[in-house]
Amino acid sequence: MKFRSLLAALLLPLALPSMATAAPSPETSILRVNITSQGYNFALPWQKQRPNTRRGLGALLQGNRVLVTAELAQDANYIELEQAASGKRITAKVEAVDYEINLATIIPDEDPGDFFKGMEALEIDTTLKPKASLDVWQFESNGTPVSSPVEFNRVDLGPYFLEDQFFLIFQANGAVQYRSGTFTLPVIHEGKLAGMLLRYNSRDQVSDILPAAMVDRFLEDVATPPYEGLPSFGVRMSPTLDPQLRSYLKLDPANGGILITDVTPGFSAAAAGVQQGDVIMEMNGYKLDARGSYDDPLYGLLGSGHLARGKAAAGEVMKLKLIRDGKPIDLDVPLMRKLPQDYLVDPYVFDRQPRYLILGGVLFQELTLPFLQLAGKEWRDRASFRLVYAQANQDEFLKAGRRKLVFISGVLPAPCTIGYERMAGLIVNQVNGKDITDLASLAEAVKSPANGIHRIDVVDGPRTIYLDDAQAKQDNAEFLPNRYRITALSNLK
Amino acid sequence: MFRSTHFRPAALACLAVLTVLPLATAQQESPDEKTTSLGKQYESIVNVECSALRVDYRTPWNAATPSGGTGTAFLIGPNLFLTNAHVVSDASRIVVKKVGDSTPHRARVKFIAHDCDLALLELEQPSEAFAEAVPLSISPEIPKLDTTVKVVGYPIGGERISVTRGVVSRVDYQEYSHSGVDQHLAIQIDAAINPGNSGGPVLQGTQVVGVAFQGYSGDVAQNTGYMIPTPVIRRFLKDVQDGRYDHYVELAIQKTPILNPAQRKALNLPDNDTGVMITAVDSTGSCGGILQVGDVLLALDGYPVDSTGSIDIEGEQTEMAEVVERKFVGDKLKLKVWRGSKEQEFEITLKPFPAYLMQANRYEQQPEYLMHAGLVFQPLDHELMGAFSLTNLRTRYFYDYYAQDELYKELPEIVVLTSVLPDAINTWFRDYTGQVVEEINGVKIKSLKDAADALAKEPDGTHLTIRLAGEGRLIVLEKKLIAAAQERIQRKYGLAQDRYLAP
Repeated sequence: MKFRSLLAALLLPLALPSMATAAPSPETSILRVNITSQGYNFALPWQKQRPNTRRGLGALLQGNRVLVTAELAQDANYIELEQAASGKRITAKVEAVDYEINLATIIPDEDPGDFFKGMEALEIDTTLKPKASLDVWQFESNGTPVSSPVEFNRVDLGPYFLEDQFFLIFQANGAVQYRSGTFTLPVIHEGKLAGMLLRYNSRDQVSDILPAAMVDRFLEDVATPPYEGLPSFGVRMSPTLDPQLRSYLKLDPANGGILITDVTPGFSAAAAGVQQGDVIMEMNGYKLDARGSYDDPLYGLLGSGHLARGKAAAGEVMKLKLIRDGKPIDLDVPLMRKLPQDYLVDPYVFDRQPRYLILGGVLFQELTLPFLQLAGKEWRDRASFRLVYAQANQDEFLKAGRRKLVFISGVLPAPCTIGYERMAGLIVNQVNGKDITDLASLAEAVKSPANGIHRIDVVDGPRTIYLDDAQAKQDNAEFLPNRYRITALSNLK
Repeated sequence: MFRSTHFRPAALACLAVLTVLPLATAQQESPDEKTTSLGKQYESIVNVECSALRVDYRTPWNAATPSGGTGTAFLIGPNLFLTNAHVVSDASRIVVKKVGDSTPHRARVKFIAHDCDLALLELEQPSEAFAEAVPLSISPEIPKLDTTVKVVGYPIGGERISVTRGVVSRVDYQEYSHSGVDQHLAIQIDAAINPGNSGGPVLQGTQVVGVAFQGYSGDVAQNTGYMIPTPVIRRFLKDVQDGRYDHYVELAIQKTPILNPAQRKALNLPDNDTGVMITAVDSTGSCGGILQVGDVLLALDGYPVDSTGSIDIEGEQTEMAEVVERKFVGDKLKLKVWRGSKEQEFEITLKPFPAYLMQANRYEQQPEYLMHAGLVFQPLDHELMGAFSLTNLRTRYFYDYYAQDELYKELPEIVVLTSVLPDAINTWFRDYTGQVVEEINGVKIKSLKDAADALAKEPDGTHLTIRLAGEGRLIVLEKKLIAAAQERIQRKYGLAQDRYLAP
């Protein structure tokens, strides 16, 4: 005993100065993050899916926070932080998560003790330009650090995690061998965090990296509550390269600009008065070319989406120079954020149970994109066409006064639902004579059946479904809990 | 009856018509024999060789591509042969050959019914060769389950006539895959039916009880061949007696079974297993303006309808449409309906419902098109959907819901920008194909002819504008560039005509 403590005392003074001066390394600044996720089953929303454990690498930041992608942290049930070499583990939790920007911070669940002792937080480098040399850090399964050099050579906008959302991406070339099934890897430039590796194409040896600039804006937003998030501009655009289009729009032949082809009602652009047919010439002082790109001071030619979303923040004002009917106008657009619940069809659902209601075996839900995606990658071709069409044309339903799209997702065979077993994917218009605008309105409507019979009016299929209230109540109380092990007949939260 | 489009059983996709025996093998010389070991009735069963022309909807200005196949036909009257429509569809030349005689006799289609896959042929020059042949007689009845039948024809596997034998396995409604959208009574048999059997008689004793016409491919189901039963054959023969084929008549309604006790209670229906609930009534169909959604149909011409939509007809439990199937354009039908807790009687006059043909296979039809400045416009139908693999969500909506949402009332034809023949004038429009044309120069487009008229008219400004449905980017063409481009494109891409509009 005496000998060991003596040894430690002797070693420490020697070790400390060398660690303070050395650049951070995988051992000092990267942790394994083991996350067990368990999302809800969107087909049977009263229960969760099979738990799934994934392992990723997180970057240690100031204040004992560990940065990972939101994709890794989705629907987290249980999280461990692990020292790669020693295997030492502590339990942890999600501090902040944003699924659009695809980032999350993980913090210890309890007093970490000396878990972080000897470790060093990474600084963040937001000044990187193409041609910089980067290192992708990871560990062998035995804990040995591995650093793979890659060259950062291109900037573009690309998807992070959610479908149809495009943000700043750094592309780097070089071989990166995946070790021990890790999910997302920290990317380093001269000892500082340069980004998080999102995807690696092994054939072309191209890495897609979520850059530090986006990490930085996320952390700053988290540090200064309330969390503002990314604004939703809400336009679709089309290039103006076609000379015939330019002459039709009375545009100067040489002078760039991008055509607004669609404006989403209720979003930032529409609220400020941007119209279909407007041509955006400038955003916040940056001139847009005929493809809608601008010259970024750091990255060169880049899509204007970065100005409107990635680089912008909710609460800011976007200054636009437009051409409308051949005349220039200036327009200030206050930027606002749209949360998934603000859409008719939630574009994503994480960390919460889907809303549903069961009436005697008929399963009602609010339509969400994850529900449609149950049909697989080809969901647009495979899922019920009416639902897919509604998802693509949400405005029509919002204008008709709906807040959410309530539909019958399926029918559980029960005494109450004899003859109705094959119904699925039916949009609900009315229940007991009341318009259904969301699940809460449905929960209210099912309280008042006429003469002991519920009347449910749907688009397509049987058009009208009748359910016996007494039988539904009995099945809700006995058959469904016993046979299907349904513990809660609804979730309206 | 036409099939309701949105609840299509997956396995039906494999039902296939059976003429696929290619001409090349079938043209080999058959042995020149005047006598056969077969009975007299086989003299009336002939081999049909059909040279067909299939058009490519992607190049509608081109002549059609020759193809062909063989099948079977049989004599049913003086110089009158019955066969399947799919054996002689799109025919450019038809030749029939008698059993044991390789002499080709040229024949032509007298009547063809694509909705029930039947056709009548006649020899162009009535021949002595058939002077002795006795027409086969068609049984007035549907054969009973488990009774023996034999199939005679010229299927794959040899040159000479073939006979196979089996029993009646099932009598039921089936999709007729030739049109792809029609359902009629069909009889399943377990006698082998192979490519080339199509159009051949299925015999019980000396009488024809059906026409062999389709089957499942072997990896889906075994020994399931189908024949067209005599009620369908007789209806076809009766329909053409006035010199033309009028198509089936349709109720043009959708229905749902009444199996749940709450439905009976809510509708005040007696608990007697009778009636189906009406869920859609096509307003231009036979029941338009008479039936209402929510009505319960109790009986058709006195036949009680049970709660799943079946009736008992001649001792057979069958789909209620069978009552309608045996009727013709202009015939009356009595409906007994439960509405507002009371029985009511109506009489309707039956007529066809052409809107559902949007999703049917097309035959003998020269595709319509219109080319303007390299933009090719064509009316939407099943062939177009397949030829261009159209996936645009709005285009799919127009196609899938054309009949159901009664889009045909507003839009007799859905005009699609199907392709662009690349040229300097249209180089920026190639990403816009597959979408529905909504307006040209501000004029709403309701048919290909509308599009032709709108394009022919001089626009007010300097540009021609085309608005596609759901697309915020207009297609704009500078007027002064169009004439030269039109001439140039037509010449370079070899279009003898810039349009074909059916008269």
